[in-house]
Amino acid sequence: MVTAGKRNWLPISKPTRPTGKERQQTMIESLFFYVLSGVLVLSALMVISAQNPVHAVLFLILAFFNAAGLFVLLGAEFLAMILVIVYVGAVAVLFLFVVMMLDINFAELRRGMGRYLPLSGLVGTVMLVEFFWIFSKWTSDTAAVAPHMRHAPLEVSNTHALGQVLYTHYAYIFQLSGLILLVAMIGAITLTLRHRPNVRRQEVSRQVDRHPKDVLRVEKINSGEGVS
Amino acid sequence: MIPPVFVAPSLAVAFPLIFLAGMSLMLLLLGVARKTEDFKSVNNLAIFSLLAVAIVVARFSDERMEGLNGLFVSDPFAILMQIMVLVGAAVALSMTPRYVERERLMRIEYPILVMLSTLGMMVMITSNDLMTLYLGIELQSLPLYVLAAMQRDTVKSTEAGLKYFILGALSSGMLLYGCSLLYGYAGTTNYTALQLALTAEAGMAPGVVVGMVLLMIGIAFKLAAAPFHMWVPDVYEGAPTSVTAFFALVPKIAALALMIRLLSGPFENMVDQWRQVIIILSVLSMAVGAIAAIAQTNIKRLLAYSSIGHVGFALLGLAADNAEGARAVIVYAMFYMVMTAGAFAIVLMMKRKDRMVEQIADLAGLARSQPLVAAAMTIIMFSMAGIPPLAGFFSKLFVFQAIIDAQLYALAVFGVIASVVSAYYYLRVIKVMYFDDPADEALDRSNDPALTGVLTISVAVLLFFIILPTSVLTWAREAAAALAQ
Amino acid sequence: MTMIGPTHFLFLSAILFTLGVFGIFLNRRNVIVILMSIELILLSVTINMVAFSSLHGDLTGQVFSMFILTVAAAEAAIGLAILVAFFRNKSTIAIEDISTLKG
Repeated sequence: MVTAGKRNWLPISKPTRPTGKERQQTMIESLFFYVLSGVLVLSALMVISAQNPVHAVLFLILAFFNAAGLFVLLGAEFLAMILVIVYVGAVAVLFLFVVMMLDINFAELRRGMGRYLPLSGLVGTVMLVEFFWIFSKWTSDTAAVAPHMRHAPLEVSNTHALGQVLYTHYAYIFQLSGLILLVAMIGAITLTLRHRPNVRRQEVSRQVDRHPKDVLRVEKINSGEGVS
Repeated sequence: MIPPVFVAPSLAVAFPLIFLAGMSLMLLLLGVARKTEDFKSVNNLAIFSLLAVAIVVARFSDERMEGLNGLFVSDPFAILMQIMVLVGAAVALSMTPRYVERERLMRIEYPILVMLSTLGMMVMITSNDLMTLYLGIELQSLPLYVLAAMQRDTVKSTEAGLKYFILGALSSGMLLYGCSLLYGYAGTTNYTALQLALTAEAGMAPGVVVGMVLLMIGIAFKLAAAPFHMWVPDVYEGAPTSVTAFFALVPKIAALALMIRLLSGPFENMVDQWRQVIIILSVLSMAVGAIAAIAQTNIKRLLAYSSIGHVGFALLGLAADNAEGARAVIVYAMFYMVMTAGAFAIVLMMKRKDRMVEQIADLAGLARSQPLVAAAMTIIMFSMAGIPPLAGFFSKLFVFQAIIDAQLYALAVFGVIASVVSAYYYLRVIKVMYFDDPADEALDRSNDPALTGVLTISVAVLLFFIILPTSVLTWAREAAAALAQ
Repeated sequence: MTMIGPTHFLFLSAILFTLGVFGIFLNRRNVIVILMSIELILLSVTINMVAFSSLHGDLTGQVFSMFILTVAAAEAAIGLAILVAFFRNKSTIAIEDISTLKG
């Protein structure tokens, strides 16, 4: 299989006549690529056209899983892992949660959907053809920037290599992304948290502050008198 | 190969950023600990820290410094733009307390989100890498979406937030796709390295051109340049007015700075390609700003279209692609901020029987009831229209000089026409104030010293720029010269 | 069967990007699907970045993708929060229904 950042499927690094084993490996890689990307495209199509948003979210999850498989094929195992953990585990579940929490009339939302179909279909096709044209004659020129590139070390795993740069070279950006997550937290709380005045809450600090002396009274009750 | 040893980047260059981040976290803790009734002190501390950071930034050395492993750059241009953004944010916050009190928006998150957004703008302005650019843009935009929807019990505000969010997220997606194409061509995301890779020949490669155009479109969305302006009028109208003042004052400056930085840095050798894009954006923005504003009855929407038109004029200076042009854009941005601050101070003053009103017709009869405010508004509107000897005239003049130097005569003629057409609706506001009969009672007198102060300073700058123009111009020239290096 | 090269991944990402943009136009009323389309666009960018990272044998693209994923999560959280706040006021998530703001 492909290891960390190694470009062993690049045509240039291949010998002209592959050995039997290599040919078999190429076959398997191609097979994986076509299956994974086929399912990915189909589920993306379902995401945007599904009748029911719950189905759309489930197809989104399927799309993420397949994309994770493709990342493994590209040698980016760590990204594949976080795609599954962050996207499937958190983002997609958040979507699912919101879809189920809001009582939405889905049929109503789909009314008039076909109206935009011809125009947006045309725009989409044109875009796709243009991108295919660009990518089919893709050139890149990295000669000028060679000293600026940070090549993936081959002797360590992908996760290890990312860890080596993430907390050192990219420490600044790492901190910025932390601030962005903080903003997301503040934002979500600001927009949705409501303090209801009549709700009884547990206040741990008050509970801890309470002292038996302040709240308990020991009285001696004489028989026949009762509590005064 | 990456050296496995940890090389600590010199943190000193990022001191203003760290300081602002630290202050916003401290204020967040303070606000949470003391509950929300303490809005005013949090707001004042936020203004204080923004101004303190502005002073720290102003004391920075004039040399070009790259830092934090090449992710960060500081030069006179970045310093000037950061000061503008910081002061703009402080001014916007100083205008908030009374309004926020009236609208029951007294929440400590408000100033903290403004601070974090300003931090994002500083990151954008000092970015030297596509990654810093992206994270800066997001750190700037995410608080803005929340601020727009801050009045969460009204349909208008939440809808404004939703529209802003959807178009903003779409624009980030396009910007990122552009970044990925550029990275694919050059194999790096660093501006300095990109500049080496993106030669004039690279400008022939379709992937590079598409990448650059997508990146510019992403920034044009944040800049609110036509044809990517459709969110602006709705968001300006729907968001709480004090938030709108912030939107109008600050984020555009950061987006403009980013655009200038990219065009004079990584894309320097691809002038022929980007100039067409800038000209299209500029012409459309001027046209939309001039024509669509005529039909508006709401003052916030009017100012929204007016800001689109101003962005068009500022981009005109960029199309010139000379040092004059960059200087003209910087001066334009400065006076745009001054005029907008004054205009929003007046919008925030507009209330009748203690309720906010925002129709242009509500200004009728202002000349009789509050002649000083009406005079101030007249000066601001004249300046926006570009009538001499006010500062707005000079900012337009510098832009036109730059384009004529670059021999783009047709553009200059179009700019003059757009400027004349837009003068119509600015004059209409003045006509309403002086000659229309009020349909209702006169507007209440404002008793907010902060608004009066902002308005006075703004009008004073617009009036007296002609007496002391040199310091501002020298500053802008130095900043523009730093870009050419 | 041809060898799988970076170009294949670029084609795939172009298809996904187009589907994402197409989805936004197609579902102009349904904000939830719009948010999911935006996720698709970001996924396509991520695939692009990783493919290029592999092409150049350079880690920058993968680091960039990681930050894109982080920010996308934050963006989704804020988007859904605004959506919930909007739904509470309007009892619908259709943005076209809205006539309070002329758009």
